[in-house]
Amino acid sequence: MNIPRNDWPRALCQLDAAEIKAVAATLSCDIEVRDVFLPQAGLGLLSLTDGAFHDPFYLGEIPVARAEVILKTADGYEVQGGCVLVDDRAKLARSIAILDAVLSGKLHGCNVAENLVEKGELMRMQKIGERRQMLAATRVDFSLLEQEDDEDAE
Amino acid sequence: MSYVAIKGGKAAIDGAAAATDYMRCMNAVDEPIKLSVIEDQLRLLTSRIVSEGGLYHPKLAALALKQFQGDTLEAAFALRAYRSTKPRLLETPLQDTSKMRCIRRISSAFKDIPGGQMLGATFDYALRLLRLDLANEDPAAFREVAKNFLSNTPEADLPDSFPKVLDALRAEGLLPPLGLMREQAFDITRDPLVFPVPRSAALATMARAETGSLLAMAYSNMRGYGDVHPTVAELRVGYLPVMLPHPVTGELMEAGEVLITECEVVAMYESGNAGDMPVFTLGYGACFGHNEVKAISMAILDRALQKGMRDGPDNPSEDPEFVLLHVDGVDSMGFASHYKMPHYVTFQSDMDRLRTTQGKVRKPGETA
Repeated sequence: MNIPRNDWPRALCQLDAAEIKAVAATLSCDIEVRDVFLPQAGLGLLSLTDGAFHDPFYLGEIPVARAEVILKTADGYEVQGGCVLVDDRAKLARSIAILDAVLSGKLHGCNVAENLVEKGELMRMQKIGERRQMLAATRVDFSLLEQEDDEDAE
Repeated sequence: MSYVAIKGGKAAIDGAAAATDYMRCMNAVDEPIKLSVIEDQLRLLTSRIVSEGGLYHPKLAALALKQFQGDTLEAAFALRAYRSTKPRLLETPLQDTSKMRCIRRISSAFKDIPGGQMLGATFDYALRLLRLDLANEDPAAFREVAKNFLSNTPEADLPDSFPKVLDALRAEGLLPPLGLMREQAFDITRDPLVFPVPRSAALATMARAETGSLLAMAYSNMRGYGDVHPTVAELRVGYLPVMLPHPVTGELMEAGEVLITECEVVAMYESGNAGDMPVFTLGYGACFGHNEVKAISMAILDRALQKGMRDGPDNPSEDPEFVLLHVDGVDSMGFASHYKMPHYVTFQSDMDRLRTTQGKVRKPGETA
């Protein structure tokens, strides 16, 4: 898989949460999962730079869920995983954090998690492609208008 | 103001709640509205709630609209009440809106903007004629609309994001320089507005202002109580990727995306100090969701308030206190609605004073 680690959460978020939770539960059933902190759901303050003077300001708040886990295999190997999402489902964030650890530590079953990431990335690209189609379908062609203007001027 | 406790009030209030729900459900033939239907088919209404509620949560905005039966002010109020129950986990790093994945991008300043103009979904060019066919829409035909649009539109090779129109003007030296001082942004959810306030407080207040209030203030400026005379350099609608540090690696990762509308207006040029090169003035507007009138109004008011903060206000729309304290929907709706609450004691007092005053004016022998 050639999708970088930082892009795994955005790909996984495209999938049904139940599917992610089921895979994370299956892959972690035989290993010890320790929460670095309890999975959290709350808010984040969204900071923007304004487009005119690049002054910072707060546009508003967004839901945020985050989790961080340490997986310990039967042979004592430990690997850390984490996730932060614009979402309010702490359990989903924890499941993605588990998959993050499985993938980054290349633990048993990581190919299943890879398939999930690739499936999610495909869905994400499809969504982006559809937005691009909408843009392309509504692109304004000014060249004809210019020609007509020239003719009018004559 | 005084209130009096009355016997039986609780039963009446409980009855009112039940009656309100009865009104929502009185036509038993109807299906309950799914939140996804509100979120998708009334997307512009949902957009109003996420921006006026100050919380980007379209699903809860749809729920609030359903619960309050389409009352946008009450729905925004409910969303704000919800947010007040949630812990704040973080403040994002500064997000760069030039990374926005546009679904619409136009300029009224130039025909040829870098990357081109794309109308996206808009009613700007629609005839304001009722589409009577939507009154009894065939579900099968409804389902075909999106499929047909995508299959009839060729796939496009377009970039993820587009350069900003203002960057080109700035490169030509036609705009004021960027501020070098990056002061901490003002958090209107934690600190009260005590005037004078920084521009970041004005932007944050307007970003969650009620659309109609903001439009009315901006309209007063457009009609003549002001001199902004704006040109829309760029209006864009799109999904802003929210970049947050990965909990383990610390590197920025995309945690999700947020639909926003953003507008930059170029206004009358002016010289700063004597001998300075004259440059255009600027205004900026942005809000959650797709709400172009709000973003344009905010950009006009931002420019008007900059003038008011610098030179003192000549018009209401240039007065920060006048604008910023009167555009919040939850505040203003709350004040208007409180007049419905019992004021029996205060009104009794008013009547007593009026009778006394009348008694003093009344001529001897005259009766009431």
